[in-house]
Amino acid sequence: MKRKGINWSYLASLAISVLLAFAIGAVILAVAGFDPGKAYLAMIDGAFSNARHVGDFLEYAMVLCICGLACVLGSRVGIFNVGGEGQLLLGAIAACQVGVVMNGAPKLLVILCAALAAMAVGGLYALIPGVLKVKVKVNEVITTIMLNTIAASFCQFLAKGPWKNPNKNLVAATGQLDPRYWFTTLIPSSNLSTAILVAAFMAFLTWYIMQKTSVGFEMKLTGQNPRFAFFSGIKTDKLVILCMLISGAMCGLVGMFRVYGVEHLYRSSISNQYYFEGLTVAMIARYDPVTVIFLSFFFAVLKIGAQGMELSAGVPNQIYLIIQTVIIFFMAAENGIFTSIRSASQRKRAKANLERKGGKSHA
Amino acid sequence: MLEDILGSIFSPGTFNQMLRSATPVALAALGGAMTEHAGIMNIGMDGMILMGAFFGVLGSFLFQSAGMGILMVLVMGVIVGLFFALFTVQFKSDEFIIGTALNTFALGLTSFLSRSIFGTAGTKGNPALPTIHIPLLDHIPFLGTVFNDNSLFIYLTWLLVFVMWVFVYKTPYGFWLRASGEKPETLRTAGIQPERMKWLASILCGILCGLAGAHLSLGQLQGTFAENMANSRGYIAFACVIFSAANPGKAYLAALMFGFFDAIGLRLQDHISSDLTNIIPYAITVIMMVYVVVRGRQKKRHAHRLKAQASPGS
Repeated sequence: MKRKGINWSYLASLAISVLLAFAIGAVILAVAGFDPGKAYLAMIDGAFSNARHVGDFLEYAMVLCICGLACVLGSRVGIFNVGGEGQLLLGAIAACQVGVVMNGAPKLLVILCAALAAMAVGGLYALIPGVLKVKVKVNEVITTIMLNTIAASFCQFLAKGPWKNPNKNLVAATGQLDPRYWFTTLIPSSNLSTAILVAAFMAFLTWYIMQKTSVGFEMKLTGQNPRFAFFSGIKTDKLVILCMLISGAMCGLVGMFRVYGVEHLYRSSISNQYYFEGLTVAMIARYDPVTVIFLSFFFAVLKIGAQGMELSAGVPNQIYLIIQTVIIFFMAAENGIFTSIRSASQRKRAKANLERKGGKSHA
Repeated sequence: MLEDILGSIFSPGTFNQMLRSATPVALAALGGAMTEHAGIMNIGMDGMILMGAFFGVLGSFLFQSAGMGILMVLVMGVIVGLFFALFTVQFKSDEFIIGTALNTFALGLTSFLSRSIFGTAGTKGNPALPTIHIPLLDHIPFLGTVFNDNSLFIYLTWLLVFVMWVFVYKTPYGFWLRASGEKPETLRTAGIQPERMKWLASILCGILCGLAGAHLSLGQLQGTFAENMANSRGYIAFACVIFSAANPGKAYLAALMFGFFDAIGLRLQDHISSDLTNIIPYAITVIMMVYVVVRGRQKKRHAHRLKAQASPGS
C-alpha cells in the first residue's frame, strides 16, 4: 500500500533518491565525456551566480508550482490532467490576442480581460477530457495527450496564419503587446515579474481549499473512494468536472503569465513541455500541495542551473530531465524496493532456519 | 478544385503513405498488445519508440551499418523492457507514473546523448535500411505503387502481426500471457507464475517498440535522428491497442486507419496549412476512443437484454 502524507520516511527517501539521481547523472556525464564535478559546479553557478539567474529560477518555480498544483487538483478527485500543456498554450495565445486587440484600453481592463480569456479558454479545453471521463468513461490520459498535440498545432497555425505578427521576422509569432501592458519586472533583465505575487496567492488559495475546507475534504473522498463519496451525498461527477475546469484555468493563467511577464508575444517557446515538468514535480511530491511548492523551487534551481551549465561548460541541459526522472523512478519504487529486500532477507532467514532444523533432526 | 483534392487523396501515393505512417504505430501497438494482455497499463511506449529510434541511428553511425543499428535496437529493447518490468512488476510501482517518467527519461537521455555525440543539429544520412523491390509488382498498376519499393520493415510488420497473433491465441504461452492479465491467481494455481509472463510481455513490448523507432529513424527517414521524433506515436499506439482489445490483427487495422488519416493530412497540405492537417490523426484518435467506449457499453446492454429475454422468470 502507498503510504500517504509527508513524514520523515518520505523526506529520507527523497534525500536518498536525489543523491542517487545525482550519482547516476554523474556517471552519465562521465560516460559522455564531461567532468561531472565541473558540470555540477557550473550548475550551481548557473542558478545563483547573479541576480538575473535568481530571478529566472524564481519565475520558473512559479510556473512549475502552478502547473504542479493544477495536476494535484485533478489527481485529488481521481482524474489525471495530463493536458495542461495544451491548456497553457491556448491560454497564452488567447491572453496575448486579447492584449493585442484591446490595444489602447486602460491597463487594468486589458489585464483583467486577458486573465479571464486565458482562464476561460484553458478551463473549457480541460472540460473536454473531464466531461468525456465522467459521462462516457473515456481514459483521460490518452485524450488529454492527444488534445495537447492538437492545441500545439492549432496555436502554431494561428501564430503563422490569421494572428501572425506583421512586423516581426519570426516564422510563427503573434503580435507584440504594448509595453505598458507588460507586468513589472521585479529583478532587472530577469524573467521575474509581479505575476509571482498573484501565483503565490493562487498557490495559497489552492492549498487552503484542498486542506482546510469541506470542499477539499469532499474532493479527497471522491478521489479515494468514489462510490463511498457518491453514496454519502457528494455530487462526485460535478466535483470532478469542476476540478478539471479549475485545473485547466490555472494552466491557462500560467500561459498568460508567460506572455505578459516574459515573452510579451506568443510563440511556441512560451512553454517547452513545462506542464510535464510540473506534473513530474507533483508526482515526486506525491500530490501533496505543500511539498509541490517546496520542490518547485528545487527543480527550478536545477533547470535554470542546467541552462547556465550548458552555456558555461557546454554540457547539454537535458541532464536535468535525466536527473529529475531518475528521482521519480526511485520515489515510485521506494516501497517496492524495501519489500523486495525484506522478502529476500526473510526467505534467506527461513532457508537458514530450515537447514538448521533439518541438520538437527538428522543428527 | 474539389476534384483535385479528392484525386490527390485517393491516389496510390496516399495508400503508400498510409502504409508508411501506419507501420511504426502498428509495431508499437503489437508491443502494447502484449503488455495489455499481461494486465500492465503501458503508456511508456512513446519513450520506448524514441529510444529505439536513437539507438538504431547510433548503432548505424558507430558501425556504419544499418544491420548493427537493428542489433543495437534489439539489445536496447530488451534492456528497456527489463527496466519497465523491474518497476511495474517487481517493485509494483504505479504504472502511470513509471510510464510517464519513462517517456520523459527517454526524451532527456536521447536528447542529451544526441547533443553530446552529434551536436545540436542532430544527425542524418547514416546507413539506412534497404527498400525492397518486388519485380512481380511492377506491372500491376495501382497495387504496384502501393506495395512496391517499401522499407523492409513494412513487410516485416505483416509477418510480425501474424506471428504475434499465433503467439497470443494459438500457443500455450499466449494463453498464459492472457491469463496473467485476466486471472493471475488462477494461473498461479495452475503452477505458472504470472509475474514471469508479465516480464516476458514487457520485454517483447520493449523490442517491438524499439523496432518501431528503428523503422522511423532508419527506414522512413533514412538514418536521421531528430529530438522527440516519436511525436506522440506511442500514445496513438496505446489508443490502437484499446480499439483492438489487444488483438494484433485488429491493432494493425487500427494503425492503418491512423496511417490513412495521416496520409490524407499530408496530401491536403497543398491546400490547407500543414499545422491544421497535423491535427487530423490526433482528433480522429480522440473520436475513436469515445466511439469504442460507447459501442462497448451498447454491446453490454444488448447482452443484458438477451440474457433477460432468455430467462424471463428472473
